[in-house]
Amino acid sequence: MSTVINEPAVDVVCLGVGYMSGVVATELARQNYKVVGITKGPYWDYVNDFSMTKYDEWGVGLGRKYDSPLPLQSATIRNNSSQFALPVRRYTMPIQYHALGHGVGGAAQHYGGTMGRQGPWGYQQQSLTASKYGSTFLAGINPQDDTHDWPLTYAQYEPYYVEWEKAHGLCGNYNGSPTNSSSDTNFPWMSTNYPLPPHPLTPIANMFSTAASALGYHPFPHVSALASQAYTNQYGVTVNPCVYDGYCGGPCDYACETGAKANAAYRTIPAAIKSGNFTLVTNGFIFRLDYNTTNNQVTAVRYYDAQGNIHVQPATVFFNGMWGYNMIRSYLLSGVGTPYQYNSGTGTGTGTIGRGLTNGYLPFKGTSVSGTLNIGGNSYPAGNGSGGSVDIYDLMDDNFDHTGLNFIGGSQVGMGSYMGGGPGNITFAGGASSGNMGSTFKATQQNKYLPTKTSVGSTPLAHDLPTFMNYIDLDPHYTDAYGDPVARITHEWTANTYNGATYLVNKVKAILTQMGASNVTVGSTVSPYSARNDWWGHHLRGGCRVGSDPSFAAYSGYNQLFLTATSGVNIFGAGEITNTTGDNIPSGTHAAGPQSYRAAEGIVKYLQNVGTSGVNYLAA
Amino acid sequence: MPALNLPNDPRLASIPVIQSRVPNPEELVVLSKPLLDATIAAGELLADCSAKWAIGGDLGEILFGVNVQPDHVTILTTANGCDEINKKLAAVRVEAPRTIERRLNRNAEIQPKPQPITIKAYTSQFAIKGQKLEVHGDLQIRVGEWEWGDPIDYDPEYVYVVGVKVPVVPLGLKKDLYFGLGWLDRVKKINEAVARAHHKIV
Repeated sequence: MSTVINEPAVDVVCLGVGYMSGVVATELARQNYKVVGITKGPYWDYVNDFSMTKYDEWGVGLGRKYDSPLPLQSATIRNNSSQFALPVRRYTMPIQYHALGHGVGGAAQHYGGTMGRQGPWGYQQQSLTASKYGSTFLAGINPQDDTHDWPLTYAQYEPYYVEWEKAHGLCGNYNGSPTNSSSDTNFPWMSTNYPLPPHPLTPIANMFSTAASALGYHPFPHVSALASQAYTNQYGVTVNPCVYDGYCGGPCDYACETGAKANAAYRTIPAAIKSGNFTLVTNGFIFRLDYNTTNNQVTAVRYYDAQGNIHVQPATVFFNGMWGYNMIRSYLLSGVGTPYQYNSGTGTGTGTIGRGLTNGYLPFKGTSVSGTLNIGGNSYPAGNGSGGSVDIYDLMDDNFDHTGLNFIGGSQVGMGSYMGGGPGNITFAGGASSGNMGSTFKATQQNKYLPTKTSVGSTPLAHDLPTFMNYIDLDPHYTDAYGDPVARITHEWTANTYNGATYLVNKVKAILTQMGASNVTVGSTVSPYSARNDWWGHHLRGGCRVGSDPSFAAYSGYNQLFLTATSGVNIFGAGEITNTTGDNIPSGTHAAGPQSYRAAEGIVKYLQNVGTSGVNYLAA
Repeated sequence: MPALNLPNDPRLASIPVIQSRVPNPEELVVLSKPLLDATIAAGELLADCSAKWAIGGDLGEILFGVNVQPDHVTILTTANGCDEINKKLAAVRVEAPRTIERRLNRNAEIQPKPQPITIKAYTSQFAIKGQKLEVHGDLQIRVGEWEWGDPIDYDPEYVYVVGVKVPVVPLGLKKDLYFGLGWLDRVKKINEAVARAHHKIV
């Protein structure tokens, strides 16, 4: 018979055991604090759980057998506040492409491993845009604009980037900064290079690099979280290198059977367990935070175990490391923080929990350019999900003049990655069309693996800017398996994304031409809101932002939930990508990662002060 | 905003549960911080060493994911390499190089009966980051009263230790060596690590 179980109190409880909690749990446990990590899924042993079962495109790509089960919890989606939100019932096209993770390591068990630092401009994009282009510029290009600066600058986050990259063994070779000095305000300069060298470049990547350099750009190898070499991190955790088997990224998003794909399970959590101060709870579904509104203290977290028992886990401090909308949902369900309220009449809003939602996965449609290179060869889709290519940062952030343009920021542009999707390449991504089913599909398969020409192209969409109209709240109609409301996502890509592509596509066209591509063609212009996208990715950003002011931000500069300029809650957070305020890079994870070190630092300060001085808020 | 009604009744969701087992601490391959720091320091100090050298011993194995517990740093090199390393690490030298012969604590477990194992090397000792570092030049092995083997030679493989590229004695050589000595428990440990690195069920 199910019952309620009271667990012994500990110093810190981590909600979720993904990338961010992995860092916090490990940093705290190694400093002799008692830590509990709770995940709704299992602990995955990469050999015994993935070696023989991952080579299953149907089960992995369509069934999403390693991912968060939708019958347990889902979310609902709508484009604007006047619509009825519909639930995601399957992880396939249309609507939903990327799945949430499940268990230790979270979504990083199945991602492609793409990384890339956010540049200095991204942290101060509101103030830098206003000072350079005028205070009305953002409002002019982004209706109901809600863009804000981060609480810290790039230079302040840089040491945390280094720790994050060492912990997870990122591969690369700087980020294209011409000087790589702290005076470079355009490119993400590095005080320390990536700890592993980049993956071998493909011929197309080399062609792109040569062409980009000839045009005055600054190419650099794509940053990857898939270990290019055997590695040992600062916690002493040993890492196997990538075996380039091809079942890695692509539409299926395979797990890695050698542990080369960085995530908490194979980089940080082993050190936490080894410390003897960390307890891992698997198959524990968190449903509430016990919150005392009189002193703004969270006293415990409640979760169901697989047998339906309720566990009450008290702690001194909590760290919310759940995936974006689940982090937000946990606060809304528990009455923690100030929920965001959108006012469609004024086009503004109040509150912070759920506010400023953006989507790091850009729309499937946008103005694009393509061409053909006369290089063939064996294109058997081996390799991995984020290696082999070359990127440039020259066409993003404010690295070119936006005077007179109708967008801000831009796009990271890169080419030459491994195919990495696995033989067969299930073609459901993008939805059914004549090109991926029936006789046309069969015809294209005939010479697929020994082509004599290669298609190259790009859709250089700019980033999705925060607005008042995009947000997350609780759905009034749909519930999870336990009867609690699911998260409701209200989101439409902003005009900035489409307008950026329409302008930048000609810049990319010049690169393709320089590469010697033939038939370089710019596609039809896709205007903002002219075409509803029939897919939606899970790379949410914002919704629980960091900032210097609790009127718009949920978290302070130490990633502590704050209520006023002087009061906070004993909970910190840095959910995957959740805290960004809109950026141009493909990997919000890389920008979120340093915050987990920042939060760990804040939690230690909090633990050292609480009970002695009564401090419940850390000024950043 | 108040919390929604708090459900106090335990509930069983009708969903599949993926069973899992959290590994015990002793199952996880994690290098201790003192040896990690010593390895990084050695790698940095010997980065421009012209002689062939590589991390050997248990430390060399754990860097490739073998579940062993090293207690010091071992470097294998040539006799000339030992002299060159002595110059580079003179500040932390504990014992000057000399030729030593030493019987190992463990016998070769071979038929018809176990045999003692003796090593001979041009050896010196250091203390690096507080850890014992032994450098063996032209290390040779003898089993029982058999002839001395040739000095151990190898093509090093590389591991990046927090960004420092460190040469390591290949696991294949260690496995052959252990197999010849009848140390099948150590062969098994290496096989497990190799399998985990090459997507094979352990």
